[in-house]
Amino acid sequence: MRPLFSETSVAAVRLIVAVTFSVATIFVDSRFDALTLVRQTIKTGLWPVEQLSFLPGKLLNELIQWSQSQKLILQRLEAIALENQRLKTEQLKLHTLRAENSELRRLLSVKERVNERLLQAQIERLSNDPFVHRVTINRGLLAGVMIGQPVISADGLVGQVVVTYPNAADVLMMTDATHHLPVQVTRTRDRAIAVGVGRMDRIELRNLPNTVDIVPGDIIETSGLGARFQPGIPVAEVKEVRRAPGQPFAWVVAEPLAPLARLSLVMVDLSKGES
Amino acid sequence: MTFALTWLLTLLLIAFPYPSFLLFLLPHFGYLFVTWWGLMRNYQLSMTLLLLSSLPVDVLYGTALGLHGLIFASIAYALTLVGPSIRQVNWLRQSTIIFIVLMIASAVSYWVRTLTGQSPEFYILVLQAFFSALFWSPLRWLYDFLAQYKQDSEAQRQ
Repeated sequence: MRPLFSETSVAAVRLIVAVTFSVATIFVDSRFDALTLVRQTIKTGLWPVEQLSFLPGKLLNELIQWSQSQKLILQRLEAIALENQRLKTEQLKLHTLRAENSELRRLLSVKERVNERLLQAQIERLSNDPFVHRVTINRGLLAGVMIGQPVISADGLVGQVVVTYPNAADVLMMTDATHHLPVQVTRTRDRAIAVGVGRMDRIELRNLPNTVDIVPGDIIETSGLGARFQPGIPVAEVKEVRRAPGQPFAWVVAEPLAPLARLSLVMVDLSKGES
Repeated sequence: MTFALTWLLTLLLIAFPYPSFLLFLLPHFGYLFVTWWGLMRNYQLSMTLLLLSSLPVDVLYGTALGLHGLIFASIAYALTLVGPSIRQVNWLRQSTIIFIVLMIASAVSYWVRTLTGQSPEFYILVLQAFFSALFWSPLRWLYDFLAQYKQDSEAQRQ
């Protein structure tokens, strides 16, 4: 191997070359999104390393499950069976409501908007960079996951798929500082842009006029603008509203409904990529 | 071969799924990997290899490609300048100097992240540099052990 920085002048030249190359790569990747293929190739190559790093956690889980007593397992099974019965009843109600909604929409000649095909996926790891709110899920191209598909949990929206690999996908969470989401206030239908601020417990609503009718406790949902997310997915609950006199916009802080820091199971809306 | 071994160990440490509450207390294993090579084996390290090895780190952290290449190059350069004078000092002084070098790297990271649309908080980068400096001694021991193991196995083969 050639020595690195053997003399100070040579070192400086090499540093300049490295910095130029790195800055150019950062620019191309962040502005033009042109290195997705490189990212996919590297991630595919890293698959064995990632699986190896998951091994201790998996072994620990197995050990915990093995050590649980049979009585506890029976109790949990009983609770799950009861919950299953309750959900089945709820589902029956949902079917009736959906049919009714569909009929009403047909009568009003409005296009059917709910076309869900959900794929369950498990979160394998959270990015270890504190400023990047990305998670890797265990479903990828082979399972039909595509870039741009929304990712939701039982409580609400999580984010969207930004990079896909054969057996995994990267999901950018809505709290990431680079994520922007068109939303509306459920109660008033006022539209805004929800922007991540790099904190798991908050998003901010931009472009809401100072006189807007919004109060803490209001629920925010996707508006469907931009055609990436279907309308009506719950997103967050308003926590704080500040109106400074003389300012054109209100400062609104909301907390995501989905517990993003503790999630383990999510669902990918496959119907979005197909349309 | 030693490079590949230490690099694989670093990737394993980065890819490990740590709980989210630990994220602010974790060292940056990539920085420590470059610190070891920049300090202990800089005569063996090539810039091309350094830049290429930084790309998987970018992918694992989910940052823009090239960000870690820039930081790795800065750390390697800074450590090459101060390397000979701190290689033999005790671990506390070594960690202190590494903390200062990593703080410079953190400033570079802060600048690039701000340009790419993130809104980083500088104190978290300071924390990361602090914990990285704190973890320097055990990580150095681990890398030394790997390098020695490789050397011994090669000697036995001959």
